[in-house]
Amino acid sequence: MDTKQFKENLLLYGADVHRWPEEIRNAGLEALENSSELRFLVNEEARLERILKNRRYEEPSPHLEDRIISAALRLKKSPTLSLGTFLSELLAEFKLPKPAWVAISILMIGFAIGFLDPMDSTPGEQEQINLQAFLYYEEEIP
Amino acid sequence: MVYIGHPSVALAIVGGDSWEITTGMGPHLSHLEDESLILQIKEGKHQAFVEIVNRHARRFYSIAYRLVFNKDEAEDIVQEAFLKLWDKPELWDQSRHVKFTTWFYKVVTNLCIDHNKKKKPLPLSDNLPIRDEQPQQDALLDHQQKQALLDNLIQELPERQQLAINLCFYEGLSNKEAAEVMGVKIKVLQSLIMRAKTALKEKVKRYLD
Repeated sequence: MDTKQFKENLLLYGADVHRWPEEIRNAGLEALENSSELRFLVNEEARLERILKNRRYEEPSPHLEDRIISAALRLKKSPTLSLGTFLSELLAEFKLPKPAWVAISILMIGFAIGFLDPMDSTPGEQEQINLQAFLYYEEEIP
Repeated sequence: MVYIGHPSVALAIVGGDSWEITTGMGPHLSHLEDESLILQIKEGKHQAFVEIVNRHARRFYSIAYRLVFNKDEAEDIVQEAFLKLWDKPELWDQSRHVKFTTWFYKVVTNLCIDHNKKKKPLPLSDNLPIRDEQPQQDALLDHQQKQALLDNLIQELPERQQLAINLCFYEGLSNKEAAEVMGVKIKVLQSLIMRAKTALKEKVKRYLD
């Protein structure tokens, strides 16, 4: 590693050469061992880092998380258009015991079967004939 | 992790070596990765949101504070970012395979940049006394003054250099992660860091050494 490369890596990865990426670490340490100029540069960099680390920092208030969480609760959430969410919200809305839900489900299935049963329905053609028979009924009405 | 038994009281085998009892309808939220929590937030689960806020609020406050230089404003920005997440979690697109924290750093830093654009600029170091002109300055400057001066020196850097130095030096992100947050190539990020540090080195020598 030449001096130019070392200087670049020093800026990128910092003064602690032992924490440089693995692929350049050994080359960096070797170069450092053989050059007093590089050792001087490392000391300069470490000094700068110490000054930068002294930068002012204020801790957040201890209730930051609570504040965010309660603000979210107050916020009206945009509705999600998922069928699953809709159904689970619907079920949660009507707080019925499980047996009631089972009974309602059976009833609903019964209705559905009743409406769909082909045996019970009257075909259109048959319905028309019955209507004609009714309209042109020629016998006396008792 | 494998769950055995009734979902309300489940025996969880963690990593094959340890086990623990969890209650509720699924695994304890603290064991879930961020990305799984976001999926739950998308289903409107507030507990998942609580977990993600408790896990990350302070980390994102830190970058916000370092970018806006003000505690109250940084807290407001972090709150705004999390409320956005709660209101529109679909903004985090799982199919892009971007880590939640990387994406959220981007959200927070963008809010900070917008905030700074609206703010009146602070006086810069042009008005500050130079060390050579006042040899006894070091003795006069106390710790707080030096810190304020350092803030000014950092604020003088171009916006992208500031962001690069904050993400990599102060937040400890790798160059790759920081480049993803900033939406630049890794070489560009490295160039920004080098220019920022070189400029800071000169300024520190001039004003703080």
